[in-house]
Amino acid sequence: MRRALYGLVAGLAYASVPQTGEAETHIIEMRGLEFIPAEIDVAVGDTVTWVNADVMPHTATASDGSWDSGTMEAGDEWSLVIETEGALDYVCAFHPTMTGVINAR
Amino acid sequence: MLRRAMIAAAFAAAALTGLAVQAGDEGPSDLEIAHIAYTAGEIDIRYAHLALALSDNPAVRGFAETMIRDHSAVNDAALGLLDKLGAKARDNPTSRSLLKQAAEKRAELKALSGAAFDRAYAENELAYHQFVNKTVEEVFIPAADNEEFKALLGTALKTFKIHQAHAERLVEQTR
Ligand SMILES: [Cu+2]
Repeated sequence: MRRALYGLVAGLAYASVPQTGEAETHIIEMRGLEFIPAEIDVAVGDTVTWVNADVMPHTATASDGSWDSGTMEAGDEWSLVIETEGALDYVCAFHPTMTGVINAR
Repeated sequence: MLRRAMIAAAFAAAALTGLAVQAGDEGPSDLEIAHIAYTAGEIDIRYAHLALALSDNPAVRGFAETMIRDHSAVNDAALGLLDKLGAKARDNPTSRSLLKQAAEKRAELKALSGAAFDRAYAENELAYHQFVNKTVEEVFIPAADNEEFKALLGTALKTFKIHQAHAERLVEQTR
């Protein structure tokens, strides 16, 4: 049993992030019409989860159009696995002053 | 630019004076503030529906849709809080005067079309949010007694200030 568990854990770690240990999940809150934090550093393979803590809907929408959460109502969550390196700029499609950046390496 | 700023300033000053006169020395009550704030949100939702009916400009339509979403959400939150407190917003002369002014403004906007409508709608949204924000910040928040209600007004103010910045962009885009 224990050996099977080790095998499973090792297999998962290997599958998600071959080079540097386990993939992480990063939480970004939409609160007070801001992304908090507005800028984060992540590794390729990590997951970013947006949580709408406001009463009004928001989106997380890539500035280059490559991904889009769609409308996130109050309390909704949406996740994205980061697959490419570089700085990913994004905005809320409803509130153009709401901007964020994900630095993936 | 100067003209618009002066109109907004005059509008805000008149509204603030009106409130002070109507409310006497004690300032407006929470239930009056709730009614005025709710009414102000409803008014902006009506302006937005007018824009969706009359404008083909994607920036104007996107802004109007955001006003409907956000003001509906804030007003729903206000109703939720009133419900929880077992209270009901109280109608008052300021709410009625806001509705009257807005009806006049809508009639004015309805007579326009195309780029002229877009520009007038954007300028009115900027002036209106400036006026509402000044009132919420300088009159309503200081006068509010209930802490939860005061916090909700703070959230509303933050939202409406973002709308004001968004409206500033829209004025540039429709110029
Ligand atoms: Cu937003």
